[in-house]
Amino acid sequence: MEITIDLESPDPLFAQLIEQIKAAVQSGAIESGDALPSIRQLARDLEINNKTVAKAYRLLERDSVIQTRGYRGTFVHPEAKANSTIDLVAVVEEKLHAVVAELRELGATDSEIRVAFGEVLNRRGR
Amino acid sequence: MEWYSLLFYLLFVGQILLISYWLPRRMSARVASIFENYPPAEYPKLYPRSLDYYQLGHSLFVGCNRAILLLGFGILLALLTVVDHATFADDGFISEAWPAGYGMIQALPFVLLECIAFSQFRLMRATQSDSTRKAELRPRRFFDAASPRLVVAAVAAFLLSVGVDLWIHDFVLSWDHDTTQRAFWLVVGNLFMVSIGLWQLYGRKQDPYQSFSDRARQTRAQWTSLLSVSIVMSFFMLSTAVDDVADIDFLDAPLMSLYFQIIVLLSIGLLLRTLRPEEIDFEVYRERPAET
Repeated sequence: MEITIDLESPDPLFAQLIEQIKAAVQSGAIESGDALPSIRQLARDLEINNKTVAKAYRLLERDSVIQTRGYRGTFVHPEAKANSTIDLVAVVEEKLHAVVAELRELGATDSEIRVAFGEVLNRRGR
Repeated sequence: MEWYSLLFYLLFVGQILLISYWLPRRMSARVASIFENYPPAEYPKLYPRSLDYYQLGHSLFVGCNRAILLLGFGILLALLTVVDHATFADDGFISEAWPAGYGMIQALPFVLLECIAFSQFRLMRATQSDSTRKAELRPRRFFDAASPRLVVAAVAAFLLSVGVDLWIHDFVLSWDHDTTQRAFWLVVGNLFMVSIGLWQLYGRKQDPYQSFSDRARQTRAQWTSLLSVSIVMSFFMLSTAVDDVADIDFLDAPLMSLYFQIIVLLSIGLLLRTLRPEEIDFEVYRERPAET
């Protein structure tokens, strides 16, 4: 099973990775219990940063699509198929869309919303 | 003429013909068939430089091997007629320096070819305009590439070689002792080969367009070759250790010539036999039609 990412696509690389791995689970190309490549191997093959792959793996693990079993490596989660149906990016975009629309209604400008979002995200990161 | 001298001359003729005639001829035929069956017009990604450049490199490889072939027969003639073996070597037998030195010269065109291939892959990567990247969604594991039996055999051969060498020489370990130096070079040689194998297995693909199945096949072939060479290297070192006590100096030159031939057969010969062009996916080197 091969995955393909586009370095010039407007979609973030980690999102492309998540989408491709979920699609592979959905299509049955990889099944629960199957071993996945290490972060380093996948990053090297795709010629992208290790951190990008690590981020995608972290989000997939959070969504119970994959699971890390210590030194043995990363595997497809037993419930992966059921957990691969939700498109996280779409969910986040939908929620943000609603919030932004509400803020605009309250009279906030796009610039103010951007600054406020930045501050909230920065505070969350600290 | 003594039987061991005759044996050496026969093996030396074999070394000349095998490394400077038969193998280059097979490689040359393969390169020519690739030029013919996979031309630049249809497979542009395979040729980051003009075809003339590759044809020049091919001619250089053929020319070098022809010159080395003639040199080999020149050395053979000199060994038969001019060289005074009694004064050239301390023991009076044909020196192993002859097949070893000539073997190193014979290896030069192949080293040149490796350098050209390395620069070719770098150029392929530099000219890669496609923004898509592919990866296989399964881990590459050591024993998928290396046969467990060969690994065990290589480790056993190494331990046997070092162990017997130490036993023969009363377990003396000092840097000025042959045993220590042999063990050192055996370790260095094996580490070098293991690092090449691991780089091939876990490192970045050299050829950016190579399909994953071709890469897996190449890695398996390379590990088989490296492990086989390691086993032969261990046994060769063992033979030199036994030589110290068994008084078989007259076999030094024949063994050296035989060693070179086996090493070349297990490396270049095995890879040539395993990685056939008809089994390689050349479609990856075609230009993809522009997406609309």
